[in-house]
Amino acid sequence: MQIASAVADNRATLSLNGRFDFHSHRDFRAAYESLLEQAGVREIEVNFRGVDYLDSSALGMLLLLREKAESTGKNVALSGCHGTVKQVLDIANFGKLFSVKG
Amino acid sequence: MDGASLKILIADDTPTNLKQLEIVSRRAGHQPILAADGETAVALYQSESPDLVFMDIMMPGMDGIEAVQRIRALPTEKWTPIVFYSALDSMQDILRGLQAGGDDYLVKPASTQLLQAKLNAYARLLTLQQKELGYIEELKSWRQEAEEQARLGAHVMARLTDAEGLCDPMVESFNLPAETFSGDLLCAARGPGEVLNVMLADAAGHGLSAALSAMPLTQAFYSMTAKGFPLTSIAEELNRKLKAILPADRFVAATLASVDVRNQTVEVWNGGNPDAAFLTVDGKVSMQWASSHPPLGILPPALFSGVSETVVFHEPGQLVLCSDGLVEAENPDGRWLGLAGSLDLLLGAADPTLRFAALRAGLERHLSGRPGRDDISCMLVQVPIERRRAVRIAAPAPVHRGHVEEWRLGLTFSASELRYIDVVPAVVGIMTQVQALKPHQGSLFLVISELFNNALDHGLLGLDSSTKNLIGGWEIYMQHRAERLAGLDNGSINLSFLVHEEEDRAVLDIDVADSGPGFDHEAWRQRLESAADENRTHGRGLALVRGLCADLKFPGAGNRVWARYLL
Repeated sequence: MQIASAVADNRATLSLNGRFDFHSHRDFRAAYESLLEQAGVREIEVNFRGVDYLDSSALGMLLLLREKAESTGKNVALSGCHGTVKQVLDIANFGKLFSVKG
Repeated sequence: MDGASLKILIADDTPTNLKQLEIVSRRAGHQPILAADGETAVALYQSESPDLVFMDIMMPGMDGIEAVQRIRALPTEKWTPIVFYSALDSMQDILRGLQAGGDDYLVKPASTQLLQAKLNAYARLLTLQQKELGYIEELKSWRQEAEEQARLGAHVMARLTDAEGLCDPMVESFNLPAETFSGDLLCAARGPGEVLNVMLADAAGHGLSAALSAMPLTQAFYSMTAKGFPLTSIAEELNRKLKAILPADRFVAATLASVDVRNQTVEVWNGGNPDAAFLTVDGKVSMQWASSHPPLGILPPALFSGVSETVVFHEPGQLVLCSDGLVEAENPDGRWLGLAGSLDLLLGAADPTLRFAALRAGLERHLSGRPGRDDISCMLVQVPIERRRAVRIAAPAPVHRGHVEEWRLGLTFSASELRYIDVVPAVVGIMTQVQALKPHQGSLFLVISELFNNALDHGLLGLDSSTKNLIGGWEIYMQHRAERLAGLDNGSINLSFLVHEEEDRAVLDIDVADSGPGFDHEAWRQRLESAADENRTHGRGLALVRGLCADLKFPGAGNRVWARYLL
């Protein structure tokens, strides 16, 4: 999976591309850790537009990001959810845990 | 081999050549072993197991070529380079040496610098080889440890999962692991009121780490089921337990279901699993329970909801639960089986009793012999209609005089406690600590739940049982019940129990009184005597109590009931 990171004003966006599964662990953590350190960032948006598959370890990574973000006063939002990815997030009722944008 | 210090076997019949190589070896910090002929070289090779060999060809007795052939024929696990060092310099000689098993060929006389450089080159290669052997050893021991952990994990999982529950004639299941054993967990157990509870849990990931996350669920599921706790309370407890134990990125998707044949209800709580489905005998999907909660172990108790969805079934059928491994099972073209595909396989069976076998066979065809990427599990529960069904509780042997001591328990619950305490399991839990009552747990649970629920539903909440007879009435009734219970702010229920002896018989007297206005028990009694309407879903409760007890009376204004149960 490829991850592109961009920061604009107080919002950071992680755009993911490919299969988001247990192999993505290190890359995903590396991508969000530098964002957590930036005090100016209030919200981290994870964009799934380029993701075609999501497994349960990926859901775990999102939960871990959510916990770490909350402890530094940041919000985590999910965006670009479609197809299989949306299905997996819906079944896990992640809409009750994260703010979900279109 | 100790650091870069090598054991070097040098075979040569000419003392000056031996000396030259010996000096070069010692200077570089290595340990030379000397042989003056081929036979000695082979013997020393076996006894000393050198790291590197310098071999002359022309020697008295066994020559270098034969010596190398013999050495190469010996069984070995490591590579030992052999360098021929000979005066023979034709291409044919060199080829013969290399073909015999030599790795290199130096022509005599060679300068000390060249020999030294060769030696250093081999020392580097051998150090690399040594490291690699170390890694291989390490991998081997990791593998061994992983296998040992998996073996232990499988053993513990098997012990924690009570196989007896899954052998229930109402239950069929399979659990196909992606690795040595599954992170999916299937449990089934009967509650004291004959309710069948089942659970299909799928921990994030697979293999040992997933199984480890699912393990804490078993004990709570079995013990709360055995005590008759409602599904909602079981879900809350499982979540609380996992939330306390697991790290933030671990969770367990689960479907919990409670099948109550007596009341003809199926109750489901689904957090993170594919839809549970109810299939009718004539081949329809009459109900699907989509996941309506996050999986267990994510939300803190205050935000968690154990709210389940109950339906009344009016015809026999089957409840099907599965993990996402089934839905996402891929065929060789990468196509998923899907939920619809799974249901099609089930409903495609010629006979409803063959549905599970048809799903299993269809899954095998879909996978085409390849293992699933994820653990694949599925459970099917037969849900029969048994209207005239008698309570199947074995009557324990009667307790005779002299065997029972008098025992009393009196409890009062006011509105604020009634809103959140699971009174019946709690009370029966205390009662069955008493030895004389223990064997009667099943019947007592049924009797006390009936009497207590009447007091609460009709006495305090003012609910009308006849609502249950309407289409969709049970759901309306349960919804009203939940709303009124949440808003209950006064009233109380009194429970008292007395174990004593009466005419040579040990008996338990149960007295339940509520602060409500009372109900017309005379009308109820008349209806019960006359009507043959056992199809009604209400009124059967008290009839059941009357069947299980020796006596049933309504002293007072109909807000109090007294029952005598024979021990």
